[in-house]
Amino acid sequence: MTKRFRMAFTRLLSLCLATALGGAAGAAGFTADPSQSRLEFTGVQAGAAFKGVFHKFTAAIDFAPDALASSHFDVQIDLSSVDSMDKDRDTTIRGADILDVARFPTAHYVTRGFTKTATGYSAVGALTLRGVTKDVPIDFQFTQSGAGAKLEGSAQLKRLDFGAGQGDWKSTEWVADAVKISFSLILKPRS
Amino acid sequence: MPTRLSSGRYSAVAQAFHWIIAALIVTQFVLANLALDLPLGVHKLALFARHKSVGMTILMLAVLRLAWRLKNPAPPLPPGMSPLERLLARATHTAFYVLLFAMPVTGLLMSSAKNYSVSWFGLFTWPNLIGQNEAAFEALRTTHDWLSYVLFAIAVLHILAALKHHFWNKDDVLLRMLPLAKRRKL
Repeated sequence: MTKRFRMAFTRLLSLCLATALGGAAGAAGFTADPSQSRLEFTGVQAGAAFKGVFHKFTAAIDFAPDALASSHFDVQIDLSSVDSMDKDRDTTIRGADILDVARFPTAHYVTRGFTKTATGYSAVGALTLRGVTKDVPIDFQFTQSGAGAKLEGSAQLKRLDFGAGQGDWKSTEWVADAVKISFSLILKPRS
Repeated sequence: MPTRLSSGRYSAVAQAFHWIIAALIVTQFVLANLALDLPLGVHKLALFARHKSVGMTILMLAVLRLAWRLKNPAPPLPPGMSPLERLLARATHTAFYVLLFAMPVTGLLMSSAKNYSVSWFGLFTWPNLIGQNEAAFEALRTTHDWLSYVLFAIAVLHILAALKHHFWNKDDVLLRMLPLAKRRKL
């Protein structure tokens, strides 16, 4: 074998190997453990921040750092499970003028693509909330631990983009338009 | 301009504290009663937000006023008052000072217990003094309400006493707290 041929052969062999390995390392399927996971939002009311959580949600997470193309998040949030640690505020949030949970009981987030960032990963996805579907990017970190993983991240959205604020609540003077979402999901392998 | 006059008048600083805080307290009663009449909503939220900002302003002024008052004693009460009247005057003034702190502090505690942090006109946020607690909120609301009735009652007493001094005793107790008044010749 000439030296040239040997080099070409090696290149071909490594390409085959890489393809085989890449194919094997598809995105692993996880589901969020509801008892350890937390989905939180922070709003600003009369100049002061307040936090709330959604107690009930399901998250089907297919993710692998080396298989971003086949990664996929599908998150469903039961909006009536909102808890901002005040019943008056929760009633208002569930009401027709804000989330209108009677007509739109769930929010749905589905990703379309992922990119690697300096600190972690970024996803582009569509959030359907109150009958409106709009892109909301999220930034997150993914930490594998054993068979499970931890997914931590945040997103920013504007509540009025989704109509979450009708009538008097359309004003942003006393309740800010911007709402921060943050999440910490403990992922378990999906069976 | 000297801050304390020897004539027995209240100084300009003392008068400023008195009248600014008095005006803010009247504002507080108006805002609270307007807000309480409203259903849950943006307008109620807005009125209570202003009530809280004004309340925190009173708390900050109360700190300054108390510090100032401790260094600058009030002019003496006029001669001729009975021991009971003197006791009543001192008790009323002391109660005002206690309430200047107790009203905003119970208000801030209420907001903390209900998990509504208090912003000062949107410029900064006061720390929550206690965690969310519905039972504590109810108890604090009752306390805040009752203290407001006490405040209202002693304010009425205070005003009636000032008028009595002015029109009945014809002394300078009212005039010495009025910014533009001349000292009455006794």
